[in-house]
Amino acid sequence: MVLKVYGNPASPCTRTVTMVCKELNLPYEVVVIDFTKGEHKLPEYIKKQPFGQIPYIDDDGFVLYESRAIARYLASKYANADTAILYPSDFQGRALVEQAASIEAFNFYPSVYGAVSERIFKPAFRGQPTDETRLQEHLSALNPKLDAYDKILDTQKYLTGDNFTLADLFHIAYSALLEQAGLGSLFESRPNVARWWKDIAARESWLAVKDAA
Amino acid sequence: MALKLCGSPISTRTRTVAATCKELNVPYEFVNVDLAGGEHKTAEFTAAHPFSQIPYIDEDGFKLFESRAISRYLAKKYAGDNTKLIPTGPKEEALFEQGVSIESSNFYPSAIGYASEKVFKPYNVQYDSQTRAADCLATLNVKLDAYDVLLGKQKYIGGNEYTLADIFRLAYGALALIQGGQVALFESRPSVARWWKDISNRKAWLEVIEKGV
Repeated sequence: MVLKVYGNPASPCTRTVTMVCKELNLPYEVVVIDFTKGEHKLPEYIKKQPFGQIPYIDDDGFVLYESRAIARYLASKYANADTAILYPSDFQGRALVEQAASIEAFNFYPSVYGAVSERIFKPAFRGQPTDETRLQEHLSALNPKLDAYDKILDTQKYLTGDNFTLADLFHIAYSALLEQAGLGSLFESRPNVARWWKDIAARESWLAVKDAA
Repeated sequence: MALKLCGSPISTRTRTVAATCKELNVPYEFVNVDLAGGEHKTAEFTAAHPFSQIPYIDEDGFKLFESRAISRYLAKKYAGDNTKLIPTGPKEEALFEQGVSIESSNFYPSAIGYASEKVFKPYNVQYDSQTRAADCLATLNVKLDAYDVLLGKQKYIGGNEYTLADIFRLAYGALALIQGGQVALFESRPSVARWWKDISNRKAWLEVIEKGV
C-alpha cells in the first residue's frame, strides 16, 4: 500500500513530510484535508489526530502524526546507503542532528511561526488583523537567534557540518513563509544564513513540493 | 569524570538532563555556569554555544547543547537492558518521536508562555500579564484535553513505557503549573492526573528536586 499523507498542499508541515518523501524517493499519496472547512476538527479526524492538526501519515495501517516525528520515522525506515546521511545512526552524528533540530523547534520555529501567523495566517485564515506589537516581539526574539545561526554557518556549510540533514530540512517550509510574509531581509542581511538558505531552497525535493506538496 | 554537565541548578533544562542521567545511572560532574555574572555571554562560552544558553555537556571533548538533544544522545549511548528511555523498534520509536514532538508544538509554547507571565514577569508593572496568561491557559486547557484522550489509551506520552517524552515535560510542568498555581489543569483530567502522579514520583526526578542537580 502506498504511503498516505493526510494533509493539505498549502500546509507547511505537510510540505515538510512530502519533501522528506521526495528526498528518499518514496512514493506517496496526499489525501487532502480541507482545513478551511474545518475537516481537521471533525470527530473522525480527531480519532486519528487528537490535536486536530495536519498532517498525519498512514503507512500500511501504522498511523503517525507530528511532521518532525514523521520525518524521522521515514528517514529511519526508508533510507538507503545514499540517503542515510539525512539522519545518521552513529551516536555523535545523530546527536548533532538532534542538537540542530532542537534549535529549530525551540529557538527558530516559535518566533517564525509567530511572525508568519501575524503577517499571513491571522489575516488570511482567521479574519484578524496583524498585531504589530506581537510581531515586533517575535522579530526581537528571532534576530539574536539568526545571529547565532550566521555564526554557526560561517564555518560549515550546513547546520551539522558538511552534509544536508533533516535538521536543515525542518527549517525550509516556514522559512519560505517568512519570505512570503515580506520578512526575507532577516536572512538576506546575514551572509552565511543567506548562502545556506539559497542552497537548501534550491533542493529538487523542495522545488517539487513548495507550491503543491 | 568523563561527563560534565554545565548549567545551573535552578534551570529547568539542566534538571531535565540531570534527571535523564539519573534514570540511566550515568555519573556526571556538575559544573555551574555563572548566569548572574554573564558567563554565558562571554566570547569563550559562545564559541562553544552560539545561542548563549544552558545546559551543555562535555563528554571527553565531545560538546553538545540543547537539553533534548543531550538527553537523546545519552539515552541512545547508555541504554541498558532495563533502562530504555528511547524505545527500539521502528514503530515504537516513531510513537516516541510523536510524543516528543507533541510537546514542542502543543505543550511547551503555552506552558512556557504561562510560566513567563505568571512566574517570570509579574514584577514588571507596566506589562499586562493577565491577558497573555489567560490566553496561554485557554490554549493549555484545549491541549490537555487532547492529552487526556491520548493518555486514556496508553500509559505514557510515547507509548506504554516511560521515555524521554515524559521527562521532557516534567520540568516545565512543574514550573509552569505548580509554581503558577495551576495544578488543577492536571488534576481535573483523570488520565493526565494518573500520568502526572506517576512521572512526578519517579525516583530519579525526586532526587533532582530534593538533592539538586
